[in-house]
Amino acid sequence: MDASFWILQFLNAAQFSMLLFLLSIGLTVIFGLLHFINLAHGALYMLGAYIGISVAAATGSFWAALILAPLAVMLIGAVLYFTLIDRLRGAGPMNQVLVTFGLIFVFLDLVRMGWGDVALGLSAPPSLAVTSDILGVKYPSYRLFIIALGLAIMAGLWITLARTQIGAMIRASVENGPMASAMGINVGRLFFIVFCVGCVLAGLAGVAAAPVTSATTGMGISILIPTLIVVVIGGLGSLQGAIAGSIIVGFIETFGAVLLPGFAAVLTYILLAAILVLRPQGLLPARGH
Amino acid sequence: MFRQSPARTLVLLATLAGLAVYASAGGYFAREIVVEIAILAILAISLDVVAGFGGMVSLAHGAMMGLSAYTYAIFSVKLGWPPLPSALMGIGASALFGTAIGWITGRTTGIFFIMATLAFGQMAYTVFFKWRWLGGDDGLGGLSRFDLGWLGIKMGDSLTFAFFALVMVLAVYAAAAWVLRTAFGRTLTGIHTNEDRMRALGVSTVVHRAQALGFSAMLAGVAGIIAAQHILYISPEMLVWTVSGEVLIVVILGGLGTLIGPLLGAVIFVLLKHEISAYTNHWHIVIGILLIATVLSGGRGIYGQVEHWLTRRTQPAGKTAEAPDA
Repeated sequence: MDASFWILQFLNAAQFSMLLFLLSIGLTVIFGLLHFINLAHGALYMLGAYIGISVAAATGSFWAALILAPLAVMLIGAVLYFTLIDRLRGAGPMNQVLVTFGLIFVFLDLVRMGWGDVALGLSAPPSLAVTSDILGVKYPSYRLFIIALGLAIMAGLWITLARTQIGAMIRASVENGPMASAMGINVGRLFFIVFCVGCVLAGLAGVAAAPVTSATTGMGISILIPTLIVVVIGGLGSLQGAIAGSIIVGFIETFGAVLLPGFAAVLTYILLAAILVLRPQGLLPARGH
Repeated sequence: MFRQSPARTLVLLATLAGLAVYASAGGYFAREIVVEIAILAILAISLDVVAGFGGMVSLAHGAMMGLSAYTYAIFSVKLGWPPLPSALMGIGASALFGTAIGWITGRTTGIFFIMATLAFGQMAYTVFFKWRWLGGDDGLGGLSRFDLGWLGIKMGDSLTFAFFALVMVLAVYAAAAWVLRTAFGRTLTGIHTNEDRMRALGVSTVVHRAQALGFSAMLAGVAGIIAAQHILYISPEMLVWTVSGEVLIVVILGGLGTLIGPLLGAVIFVLLKHEISAYTNHWHIVIGILLIATVLSGGRGIYGQVEHWLTRRTQPAGKTAEAPDA
């Protein structure tokens, strides 16, 4: 295990962390804003990947897929919002879990009907289908692009939440929804906007992941659990929590898999159980939780 | 609060009798379906005890069932114990696992409880998935059924085994109904309805919840033993969280907090699965839509809805006989 091994694993872990971040940030802010648990978030990620593959096939451009597929996922999310999510806002966690679990099944079969049950690949754009030299380690440029994309979105969200008016409104609503509402903030509309952004990011993560992992019908369910773990470990509703959670889970899963094979998968669950017992509010919760 | 109304007894006996007739009249395939229904029904009844009456929505029931099945395999296949004591060890292990989960998560509620059970269930899944001694992801074969030859009962026969599974459903239902009618069961419902008040009355809610989950896990362990003896092969797939999710769907479709509803739910779920599978392999979408429709229409489930209509018809307006338990 020389330095190049550590650099390689570090980059792998960073890339996985960024994907987890793109998925968990939408989930956690939705969760924090209205205590809504959306198990179908993983299904949106899967839809992003499949729609992206179709768009890329139709237009011949990966970049078109990267932009259009998340927007398509957002449209699907908006439809879901008006048909189901809005009605379930006060319905309690069990009903939300059940309905969104039902949605997982529905989307699973819709994707099987539309795209079939075989793994589909998406090739990275030619400009990124090369390897870069990082400190003497050859690393696929496309994976570096995912890391950069994640960091850029992280920075963008940070500035939005910390420096803009809508960010202040979101933070206020997460901290104390009824009070924010009394101050004249339309919490319902805010929730819709955040929900849409969450869908866009889930779709974006799906397209971005497709060249690395290829799209399968199981991808939505398999990414859901790590994403939920990130949300709970990080703390509900907070950007910092989502960042910290994705990095912790991403690094534990990646390094665990190479250093402690066999035990790695248990590690994250042990961490989750420990957090739930010792610090149920998560590591960096939003205030007001 | 749980009440074993005459209507519930009637539905229970009629359903079991119907399944027994189906198993006798149908061929080998019908018997396989009856056993599948029985396993799912036991698991759903055990989940209803905690979810419907204690408000503890667990996503670890598949793992509890699998743990029991694997413990049975460890003792009977690896250590050479006879089936009956091995089965008791399996059920005991499952009960211990449930109690431990309940105790550790004693103070968490709502979505945190769901997540915690998910974590512990997936932990157990991962352990068996990776454990090469027990076959890892290949699973483990070479199991055996109870030897009841001294009673003149041949468990190897598919009809006999289907009857055995149905008898176990009855036993598990009776045990659950009995426990829910004791002071213990009433207290559990009390904790669900108003935890602070029960604590003020001197009830240790953490211990009580742990015991309830332990009891529920014990019943789930029974399902594990039948599942292990059914196809004489076990795999980690029994423990995945989606199995627990399906059980939760069965409970909701049938009627949460009715105890008999989960049995009906299991019958409908398995029959529907096989019926739809005959036409298309997209039965998930049907189940998904059914589930969403059930929750959006009030979440009472099939039996709960029927009971709701019946009480509304027989009771004067404004007075309901029994508030739904969840």
